[in-house]
Amino acid sequence: MFSEPYMQRALMITVLLAPLCALLGVFVTARRMSFFSDTVAHSALAGVAAGFWLGMPDPTWAMLAVSLLVAGLILWLKERTQLLTDTIMALLMSSFMALGIVGFSLLKGFRGELHRYLFGDILSVGGVDVGLAVAATVVVGGVMFRLLSSLTLLTVQEDLAHLGGHSVRGLNYLFVLLLTAVVALSIRLLGIILVTSLLVIPPAAARNLAANFRQHVALSVLAGLVGGFGGVAASYQFDLPCGPTIVLACSALFLLSLPLASLRKARVPRT
Amino acid sequence: MPAIQFHSGGLAIEVRGLKVTLGDTQVLRGVDFHVPKGQIVALIGPNGSGKTTLLRCLLGLHQPDAGEVRLFGQKHSAPVLQRVGYVPQRLALDRSFVLSVREFLCLKLATTRDWFWRRHASTDAVLKPVLEEFDVERLLDRPLAGLSGGQLQRVLIAFSLLGNPDLLLLDEPTAGVDTPGEHTFYELITQVHRRHQLTVVLVSHDLSMVFRHASRVYALNGVICCEGTPEEVMNADSLKQAYGIHVTPYHHDHAHGHRHVHVQ
Repeated sequence: MFSEPYMQRALMITVLLAPLCALLGVFVTARRMSFFSDTVAHSALAGVAAGFWLGMPDPTWAMLAVSLLVAGLILWLKERTQLLTDTIMALLMSSFMALGIVGFSLLKGFRGELHRYLFGDILSVGGVDVGLAVAATVVVGGVMFRLLSSLTLLTVQEDLAHLGGHSVRGLNYLFVLLLTAVVALSIRLLGIILVTSLLVIPPAAARNLAANFRQHVALSVLAGLVGGFGGVAASYQFDLPCGPTIVLACSALFLLSLPLASLRKARVPRT
Repeated sequence: MPAIQFHSGGLAIEVRGLKVTLGDTQVLRGVDFHVPKGQIVALIGPNGSGKTTLLRCLLGLHQPDAGEVRLFGQKHSAPVLQRVGYVPQRLALDRSFVLSVREFLCLKLATTRDWFWRRHASTDAVLKPVLEEFDVERLLDRPLAGLSGGQLQRVLIAFSLLGNPDLLLLDEPTAGVDTPGEHTFYELITQVHRRHQLTVVLVSHDLSMVFRHASRVYALNGVICCEGTPEEVMNADSLKQAYGIHVTPYHHDHAHGHRHVHVQ
């Protein structure tokens, strides 16, 4: 399966983005941001429509731009209004998704495309996507490596992070920026509807087994890598849709983590 | 309007004319108080009296509409805030975020901030003096979210003292701690105060702690409505100002031996 160029690209983007999502996911789950991820992902549909409207051969840049716009709007409305974040996100998610679908309906001959963006399409992964995935891994991976401690303290208690000399606002914005970019890029792989699963399932599986944060991060990245690679391989082997198969592979790891977690608990006496 | 004059000789905290409006409510209506260096003081007030807002202003987390806060004679800046230790009432984390006590403590020090790639032995050596002082060595591998109220409090105090602060601010320190735990806590604070020679500010709605442990008490209710020694502040008139009209403090001795003050 490695001989085919499209599979090489698919595997490349998977082994880069899946662990990256899993790493960010540790913080996404702890900070209850999975709905945020869903919102920026679903809004990217308007980006797809906009990309086609503008005659772009590949709408990746337009998706990225719209997701970042929506992330910015969430933060802006959160600061400027009395509305709950939950309300703001639901409002923007449905509005931008509706905008995307209306946009699609006005385009002639693109109906079939909708499915590819909703559920992911590994065949459509192009050189641009691979390049962006490499760039995201270098940049996001580098920033996360550098700021792991700051983000951890921020997640534990924002006031302690402030006293520790960290810019709380700056770190929050930076995390949102990195997360949005990675989510938008991962849509190619998993589709708008399923992309959040890569942020949630590997960290959840890892949490079942981890005794500390170091293990949580390491196991989550590992689960992302194994689930991503296993999913792509299984989809090739059994001719299954790639994105959903990756999700199922991650879910299988989660199921596996449950009995392993009880074994671990039984072995380690409670103190 | 004349410039505000500061006399910062021996003061840890100076607050002048602090005003904060949140929404339609003026939460702080001109708060003035100062805390001399090296004392244990209590800032008390009923719920909604502006304690949390004042605390946030002290920590530089909230910009007041008017007035000034100075710590050690200086305005807020990163070096000044480094001299402040803060023990929050609670942490944001729940059981989904599995951070061990060791990992948490390592976040405080620049030398151990890269804990992720370091061996435990090397970080533990740096943390050792504080670990011993607060008896948290045996908790090191426990997840932070699984500690009891008293254990978490010791860990939080250890965390703040790792930075060798000159000022320690504790927000509702006895919330979530049972009565024997409360007793141990105050003994611990007294020890910390003596050993580290720092200024301690206890922020609480709980009056009982004031009697035994604070050398000075400030009662807040939008403004500092009374201040003085615990005995001075505890007289009914000034407490009435702070806690509203229907307040009668009474003292009684608990079976476990220390005096409590309740507000009816």
